[in-house]
Amino acid sequence: MGIDPKKLKRIPTPEQAPEERIHNFLEVNYGYDLESAQQEAFRCVKCPEEYAPCIKGCPVHIKIPLFIKQVEEGNIKEALRIIWMNNTLPAITGRVCPQEDQCEKDCVMGKIGDKINIGKLERFVADYARKTGIEEELLEEMIQSIEKKDQKVAIIGSGPAGLTAASELAKRGYQVTVFEALHEVGGVLVYGIPEFRLPNELVEHEVEKLKRLGVEFKLNYVVGRTVTIPELMEEYDAVFIASGAGTPRLLNIPGVNLGGVYTANEFLTRVNLMKAYKFPEYDTPVHVGKKVVIIGAGNTAMDAARTAKRLGADVYITYRRGEEDISAREEEVHHAREEGINFKLLLNPVEFIGDENGRVVKVKFEKMETLEERDSRGKRKIRGTGEYVELEADTVVIAIGKTAGKIIFQTTPGLEVDKRGTIVVDENLMTSIPGVFAGGDAIRGEATVILAMGDGRKAALAIHEYLQNKQ
Amino acid sequence: MYKILEKKGLTINQTMYKVEAPHVAAKVQPGQFVVIRAFENGERIPVTPVRWDREAGWVDLIVLTRGKTTKRMEVELQEGGHLLDIAGPLGNPAVHFSGKKVLSIGIMTGLVETLPIAKMWKEEGNTIISLHVTPEPLVILKEEFESFSDRHVVDAYPMTETWMQDMVTHAVESTKKLIEEEKPDMVFIVGPTGVQYAVFNVVKEYGIPMEVDLHPIMVDGTGMCGACRVTVGGEVKFACVDGPAFDAYKVDFEELIKRNGFYSKQEQYAMELYLKSIQGGAQ
Ligand SMILES: Cc1cc2nc3c(=O)[nH]c(=O)nc-3n(C[C@H](O)[C@H](O)[C@H](O)COP(=O)(O)OP(=O)(O)OC[C@H]3O[C@@H](n4cnc5c(N)ncnc54)[C@H](O)[C@@H]3O)c2cc1C
Ligand SMILES: Cc1cc2nc3c(=O)[nH]c(=O)nc-3n(C[C@H](O)[C@H](O)[C@H](O)COP(=O)(O)OP(=O)(O)OC[C@H]3O[C@@H](n4cnc5c(N)ncnc54)[C@H](O)[C@@H]3O)c2cc1C
Ligand code: SF4
Ligand code: SF4
Ligand code: FES
Repeated sequence: MGIDPKKLKRIPTPEQAPEERIHNFLEVNYGYDLESAQQEAFRCVKCPEEYAPCIKGCPVHIKIPLFIKQVEEGNIKEALRIIWMNNTLPAITGRVCPQEDQCEKDCVMGKIGDKINIGKLERFVADYARKTGIEEELLEEMIQSIEKKDQKVAIIGSGPAGLTAASELAKRGYQVTVFEALHEVGGVLVYGIPEFRLPNELVEHEVEKLKRLGVEFKLNYVVGRTVTIPELMEEYDAVFIASGAGTPRLLNIPGVNLGGVYTANEFLTRVNLMKAYKFPEYDTPVHVGKKVVIIGAGNTAMDAARTAKRLGADVYITYRRGEEDISAREEEVHHAREEGINFKLLLNPVEFIGDENGRVVKVKFEKMETLEERDSRGKRKIRGTGEYVELEADTVVIAIGKTAGKIIFQTTPGLEVDKRGTIVVDENLMTSIPGVFAGGDAIRGEATVILAMGDGRKAALAIHEYLQNKQ
Repeated sequence: MYKILEKKGLTINQTMYKVEAPHVAAKVQPGQFVVIRAFENGERIPVTPVRWDREAGWVDLIVLTRGKTTKRMEVELQEGGHLLDIAGPLGNPAVHFSGKKVLSIGIMTGLVETLPIAKMWKEEGNTIISLHVTPEPLVILKEEFESFSDRHVVDAYPMTETWMQDMVTHAVESTKKLIEEEKPDMVFIVGPTGVQYAVFNVVKEYGIPMEVDLHPIMVDGTGMCGACRVTVGGEVKFACVDGPAFDAYKVDFEELIKRNGFYSKQEQYAMELYLKSIQGGAQ
């Protein structure tokens, strides 16, 4: 098959230069414009729907070749309509999905050249539609077609799972109220993922759209304390728990409570949600210093590292495993390296060392080595070598994952959870309490945005089914 | 937005805000707190509902002017204005028991946090000996405590340059005296961690059970960030979801004192800038 050699290479997306962007919190990648998006779309061979590996790889099965075809032809409205059938937050997933493990993983173009940049095309459709008013037209159509119902659904948490469920239920006419503990909507999308990767205004925009679909938001409501699930059940016909995996995991080693030892959640919340990078104009402080040691190598670790870099520090990402087991998105690791973040692999922290004022000054690590064997998650097993090294640190950020919060569980009699505190659900995402559903990180532990959204959608459909049968 | 129905200076540096917050008023119980945000570029800070009306939907907060946020509140918030956010109630309600004699100690503004708890314990059939240790100009809630407490003692001392050290001395001496005179079954204290620690070291000698309400620095107050972690009984606890009250015998006070001082330079700097800006504005 004589393929045009020009088709083999990805059309690049412009980015802020590393030496520039480490001094600001503006978005790193600018994305495609119409012309370059059309060029990238042209590269896609438009595999048949029943075969396309990209559709299979996407957890919510967006009809990728169909929307890409519309992009190529310049019909962005149609492209957005196709994406919206499976995913209501493409501006977000286009930016944060681990595409290399999902839609782009088995792209057939990869056999002869570069894989199609599906994520950036998806993001382009969303951004272009938002800026040109196309999205507005589609939204109006959607609002017109809603047939209001009397039944009420309560959603707990406004992360991607909660927002997706809210949108799907509102479209089906239900009266939806979202209860959020914090003062802003968006969950990890606003307090965790930094602005340079996902500008907060995009999340705000999604929230405005939901409000127009009739969704009500109640902020500062900590379900379990402000109102309990049994109380919600009296007023609402169904409840969806999308409270995430809120509690940061800590290392059980000496010195973990020294000053300057942060969890990633605290560090990122101070900077992203409370805008500590603008201290003293904003009142919330954060301490960075000259040297920052990050522990972990997932998305959270990359975000913390790149945030610390932007606050002027020399940053070390330390990880107890080797290169191949780094779990962050490829693009983030690449960006982190470009920004001059140092990677120190096969180091397992054993102690945080403090000064007389209780402030961290050093981290002690054991050097590790990898074995051939793999553990249940497919990661190479590691073993200590008995050799130790120390790294200086003014600040340490622990980014080793999160577990379920306990407020909801403690205040909801009859709600079944597993050993780790994650909520147990059936195949329709219903919990042990009839009419109470759950999804996202609350049932998975820390996972991904798109899986949370997939759950939100699935739960919405299950709730719809449940409420129709209930009548 | 949550309307400020009333704002009243109670003494120098202590201000009462009556805030419309039906979601909190409906549920709050003694021992719980809220996290508020007063300004768009402001911090989230924990404070304690002191009184509330479930039907009318308001709570009273009494706030000590301490650093920038609380100073700004005192200067910039007006009756009829609003708090941007008030989240809660948060933390665990105070424990219930009866038939005990409790020495309930409030150090300075810490007294306000003991008010709903001591009242509840009294109603549940306990004897309440309440102690307020404070610089003289900051005496508050005296009549209110006298109205329900079996004995309310105010140890008010002159506000000189050494008022912070004097606070420790007075707290320790008054506690000793009241333990000798009243032989309480239990001691409860709210106040600066350093004073709590000093008082604990006295109570410990008598072997009396003691509870402390801990005040670590908080951000979310919902268990999400871990800023508020304290070591209790050798384990890491999050004060906002596991507390705020803990068994004093298990608390690592020294660690908490250090953690609480972590931002002091930045806090002072922010306060100085703010004071300059309002002085400049007044000219
Ligand atoms: C720093 C960071 C970077 C990440 N990067 C990526 C990435 O690049 N790509 C990716 O796919 N995934 C990423 N993830 C993971 C992803 O963000 C999560 O899997 C996803 O946000 C989970 O969505 P959720 O809706 O289940 O929960 P969350 O986003 O956690 O939202 C839960 C919401 O519920 C609220 N809540 C909790 N308890 C209560 C309560 N009792 N009452 C009321 N509200 C409550 C919380 O305040 C929060 O707003 C990242 C995570 C972090 C922390
Ligand atoms: C559970 C709890 C209940 C409280 N209830 C009351 C109350 O009813 N009335 C009252 O006047 N005060 C109360 N406080 C203390 C109050 O939160 C602090 O005085 C306030 O945050 C100081 O902010 P600032 O900006 O004015 O001072 P800053 O200059 O920022 O700080 C001064 C000191 O206050 C403490 N502090 C600062 N920020 C925080 C924070 N985010 N969380 C906790 N402590 C902080 C630190 O020890 C710090 O050194 C309570 C604290 C806790 C934890
Ligand atoms: S939602 Fe994620 S996985 Fe699916 S097509 Fe979009 S970027 Fe790819
Ligand atoms: S697998 Fe690749 S080439 Fe085939 S349709 Fe999907 S994106 Fe296009
Ligand atoms: S204040 Fe964040 S966990 Fe307690």
